[in-house]
Amino acid sequence: MKIPRQTVIAAGTVLAAALLGSSSVPKATSDVAVSVAPEQLSVVGLPCFPATLNLTMTNTSSKDRYADLTLDPTGPLQLSRTLFSSWLPAVDPDQPVSAPVEVRVPRDAKPGSYKIGVEVDRKRLTVPVTVNPLPPKGPGDNLALGEQATASSTHGNFTLCGALDGDKDSEHWDTLTGWNDGTRAVFPDTYDVALSTPATVNRVELYTLDSAKYPAKTNGLRDWDVQAKVGGTWQTVAQVRGNSAGHVTSTFDPVQADAVRILCLDGNDHTYSRIVELEVYGS
Amino acid sequence: MLSSRRSFLTVTGAAAALALTGSLPEIETAAAGWTGRPDRRDPFTLGVASGDPLPDAVVIWTRLAPDPLAPFGGMDRRPVEVEWQVAEDEQFRRVVRHGSVKAGPEASHSVHVDVRGLRPWRHYWYRFRVNGHLSPVGRTKTAPTADTQLSELSLAFASCQAIWEGWYTAYADMAKRDHDVVFFLGDYIYEFGIDRGIRPDSKEIINTQQTVTLDEYRLRYSQYKLDPDLQHAHAVAPWIVTLDDHEVVDNWADEAHPSAPPAQFLVRRANAFRAYWEHMPLRFAQLPKGPDMQLYRRIRYGRLAEFNVLDTRQYRSDQAYGDGTKAPGPETADPTRTITGDAQEKWLLDGFAASQTRWNVLANQTAIARLDTKDGPEVLVPMDTWDGYEASRNRILGGAAQRKVRNLVAIAGDLHRSVASDLKLDFTDPASATVGAEFVGTSISSGIDGMDLDPGGQTLLNENPHIKFGNFQRGYVSCTITPQRWVSDYRVVDKVSVKNGTVSTRAKLLVEDGRPGISEVQE
Repeated sequence: MKIPRQTVIAAGTVLAAALLGSSSVPKATSDVAVSVAPEQLSVVGLPCFPATLNLTMTNTSSKDRYADLTLDPTGPLQLSRTLFSSWLPAVDPDQPVSAPVEVRVPRDAKPGSYKIGVEVDRKRLTVPVTVNPLPPKGPGDNLALGEQATASSTHGNFTLCGALDGDKDSEHWDTLTGWNDGTRAVFPDTYDVALSTPATVNRVELYTLDSAKYPAKTNGLRDWDVQAKVGGTWQTVAQVRGNSAGHVTSTFDPVQADAVRILCLDGNDHTYSRIVELEVYGS
Repeated sequence: MLSSRRSFLTVTGAAAALALTGSLPEIETAAAGWTGRPDRRDPFTLGVASGDPLPDAVVIWTRLAPDPLAPFGGMDRRPVEVEWQVAEDEQFRRVVRHGSVKAGPEASHSVHVDVRGLRPWRHYWYRFRVNGHLSPVGRTKTAPTADTQLSELSLAFASCQAIWEGWYTAYADMAKRDHDVVFFLGDYIYEFGIDRGIRPDSKEIINTQQTVTLDEYRLRYSQYKLDPDLQHAHAVAPWIVTLDDHEVVDNWADEAHPSAPPAQFLVRRANAFRAYWEHMPLRFAQLPKGPDMQLYRRIRYGRLAEFNVLDTRQYRSDQAYGDGTKAPGPETADPTRTITGDAQEKWLLDGFAASQTRWNVLANQTAIARLDTKDGPEVLVPMDTWDGYEASRNRILGGAAQRKVRNLVAIAGDLHRSVASDLKLDFTDPASATVGAEFVGTSISSGIDGMDLDPGGQTLLNENPHIKFGNFQRGYVSCTITPQRWVSDYRVVDKVSVKNGTVSTRAKLLVEDGRPGISEVQE
């Protein structure tokens, strides 16, 4: 039996290749301008303290296209993505298209100089990355900064680490910092930070959402318990009720804690738990 | 190439059977730039699919992704020649069409073959082969010729498959029943990040990222298409798909979404559309050009039924009154606002006028019927459904009546609940003429288990006399259409939060030829 080979499709394939574009044939030169911000990075080996690199591709040609940007890290660098692909319109003025990549290193990463290769159309640039020594976590230091967070849930527009990133400015809420739970109008919610080593703690500073647009008295956390994990068991060490302030300090008898938890019981709008920053201190 | 051919002959038993038929040509890969480096990983992890049947053609689809959650699906960034076969029998003894096509990284190594020269209204089986690996076998079915007096058509329709909210038990049931075609009416993926769910991998970090860039949308499709029940439902029948909001982002409207200014949003839309096309069994006519995609189209099954597949997202006016659930008013009634866009509206009304079929179907994203969601005299309706676009609704339903369209039936999704309604010329007047019937199907999984009748469903029944049936479980709708009647069988799953849920018929609803609206509810 002679089987017809589909000539229509053979022609269609040529057409398809034209329609789909030909990023598969890398060019020596590229019409995509690539930039990164910042141009160099510093990172420390804290689990919840990534450095963020913003990647930008701009189509400088007169034809719309798709492009793939690949990332190639050295040494201990761990990236949240190694690929950024996008449609890039050819418009006047140019339209930059950006995406973030988070850079982390393990706690035991050797301080030193590393780099991330960034490549589009075989055109390459390099981002230097400095791995710094871990910050001191002694008496008077914020023991929660950058340590591992765990939450009952996190809203899709926020990152889990947003309340441990050292940024307590409510005007940076949402896109830049803060933790917001993911279960609307369902309480309680929990937000935990595991300390790097068990430590004596006696004070927790909590910054809830309190911006010009979203004041604490209408959008901030209202009722919560501060808990410490002692020998594997959560103990309530302080309670806050009916709060309407953006910054609340809870002091309590010193306790040797593995972790600290905010048990969120209600918000002033009764929808979400919102923490801009959580700080933990020993005496 | 010898090495890969040898591995092809020895790796799979099915391949040996294939080789005996002598029907596959030698692989023409040398010219195609394939390195020939043997790759022992199965590239067909995302299954196969077919779609958009015509009397002489159907699209067959697959995607090469040996490591589907890795960048580029684990493929080298170079084109690969993929062979395909279409046969009249499951054993591929009678191969009637075959060929090869280049799959490249620019389209995620997806394969879309518009197979032509087929016979009308019959089953075909298809498969792909690459570098010694054979794909699963898919079954598809062509449409009958336009003048065929078709005695019966069976179809299923589905929507809203939030993967973290349930197992796809409904698809396992759908695949067991013999449907000629399956419609998917939107929310194939969800774009937002979520960090919990009922599946073992629901908490993984990969799920917590919202999709904005092209690589992110591609990854999300890979996650969804790994589900075996979904793959199975694709493999047994052709699908005709359209999209709703979550294939891009929640409640987008044309160029508008609060997340970004229009120019920036259109880049996201272009990325979302590209990934959508790459993962759906669509023709090149539907290939997006940047942020634009020709998705509305018409597919006909003989003289029995014509399906108008709509796109109510890409051309709609921004939601009235800032979206949400609001009282109807001047803004929802504004005749300058539209849910279809002018061109699609004209295309639809012209299609109504020219229709030669017994049944005329709107395969659409969301409810056309009014949904008053508030108990008592106050009226609150969703701004994102056709309720937010009353003038548009009046032009389409009134236009269908004026053109004396025979047996208008709408199928839809979006609501995460089953709602069957009479379509009225004026929903505020129960005495107004009924011009058609609407079957809104529930979600495959979105909303977790649900219940038979929730308070919201009771309110809908209380406040909307045109609504004849409601249910708040998960599932899909299986329809049997003959010249005399349309039967919608609402298949519901008792629990999607467990793997071994049970699927049963909750109700059968009938529409009779020549009698607009729902004529009988069998519970």
